[in-house]
Amino acid sequence: MAGLLDRERIVAGPGFNRWLVPPAALAIHLSIGMAYGFSVFWLPLSKAIGITAPVGCAADASLLSPLFTTVCDWKISQLGWMYSLFFICLGSSAAIFGGWLERVGPRKAGVAAAFCWGGGFFLSALGIRTHQLWLMLLGSGIIGGCGLGLGYISPVSTLIKWFPDRRGMATGMAIMGFGGGALIGSPMADLLMKHFATPASVGVYETFLTMGSIYFVAMLCGAFGYRVPPTDWKPAGWQPKVTANAMVTNRHVHVREAWRTPQFWFLWGVLCLNVSAGIGVIGMASPMIQEVFGGKLIGVPGVLADLTTEQKAQVATIGAAFAALLSFFNIMGRFLWASASDFIGRKRTYLIFFLLGILLYSSAPGAGKSGSVALFAAIFCVILTMYGGGFATIPAYLADMFGTQFVGAIHGRLLTAWSTAGILGPVLINYIREYQISHGVPNAQAYNTTMYILAGLLGVGLICNLAVRPVAERYFMSESELAAVRGAK
Amino acid sequence: MNENVTESHPSGASWVLVGVAWVLVGVPLLWGIFITFKKAALLFR
Repeated sequence: MAGLLDRERIVAGPGFNRWLVPPAALAIHLSIGMAYGFSVFWLPLSKAIGITAPVGCAADASLLSPLFTTVCDWKISQLGWMYSLFFICLGSSAAIFGGWLERVGPRKAGVAAAFCWGGGFFLSALGIRTHQLWLMLLGSGIIGGCGLGLGYISPVSTLIKWFPDRRGMATGMAIMGFGGGALIGSPMADLLMKHFATPASVGVYETFLTMGSIYFVAMLCGAFGYRVPPTDWKPAGWQPKVTANAMVTNRHVHVREAWRTPQFWFLWGVLCLNVSAGIGVIGMASPMIQEVFGGKLIGVPGVLADLTTEQKAQVATIGAAFAALLSFFNIMGRFLWASASDFIGRKRTYLIFFLLGILLYSSAPGAGKSGSVALFAAIFCVILTMYGGGFATIPAYLADMFGTQFVGAIHGRLLTAWSTAGILGPVLINYIREYQISHGVPNAQAYNTTMYILAGLLGVGLICNLAVRPVAERYFMSESELAAVRGAK
Repeated sequence: MNENVTESHPSGASWVLVGVAWVLVGVPLLWGIFITFKKAALLFR
């Protein structure tokens, strides 16, 4: 079995079609992308015991009791810890196992990811069945989170090596899958829960078993579809540009050295700040459109607080529709911006993200005040393309700066920026909003300051991006070091 | 494999395989996008 997963076994033979690798990568990314859609389980899980309504816990219950209780229901805020674990474990596992991935190859990493992600679903199913929150958090949150990290970085290096002529497009296709996973997973989970629900069960346990099985098989198919190109493989008729573009190197920096360069930390800042601002917007997009436009969304006068319960429900549906629209632009941005970066350059692409981002984030309050729902929605749609584009373009940026030999491992370490942003973004948004509301700012206006602060974050990101310069000569591997590394593989 | 190995032209059969692989990942993705658009359509009523 070990031989079947080895890097040596997956070196492509003559005549292999490189266009088979992106769908293999997509199979893995579409599976792990369900991480974004886990909120579809929160409401049914919050009444797993009560079935029709949540059973409340005793007021004097200890802080840790929700982890083990079998007599009262979990709160949605407790289940929300899953997201924090996803972000933390994704970044940590990608950073820790990135070097291992480069040594053993993408197939072994993809299979490990399938066991972690699929296995995490099975362990969580057991946690739901026995109503043990700790088991659910351990299964999907920690073990599944490690699968997220491994699965996310598994195709990056391979795709960049197969598509040296279109690095951005190739990684954009895979990372688009991560954004698209929830688009498939959420409605599928909804259908399955309805199918499995009985008067005695909300149907989540069976849904987890089914989805875990589907993801496990899909990810194994993807992992076994991976092939790596022979060393120094090039597409027919393609030659690396010999023009002196110092921002695209043909040499290689070792992962051990990469994180010692200022470029690594500037790019870390670029990703962290772009993602922090984007996560902030995603989290508040739906409540924001509802509170800013209120009754106007359903053609009645008045702010949200003045509406009847039925009208509020209609407005909430519009808010959910807006969130769905944004998710579409998020995935489109991943492919389109990353592909565009092949032509306009990575640094310029991020320059556009930050400059246009600052302009759009700052314009959003004005668009809200003008009362134009279409303008407001359009601003957020463009913002979301740049949020997705930021994720999808960074692997190609790294390959340009540090070479392709260790790009998977370097990308893995850079993903700690995502983990940081996953905590920083929502915390920042929630605290700013709470602070303003507690100081008497009306709900609808409380978003304005937040948007200006997010624009400020993008300003810092812009400075980080402008500071990115070609990597100094001393960090690159010599020919003999490179040969030794390749020989060891 | 030696240095500077270039792509030998993929066979016709490999393009069939490419088509099948893309359909397998593309159909679920398009279904997801369709559902998303159906939800988002409420915004434009």
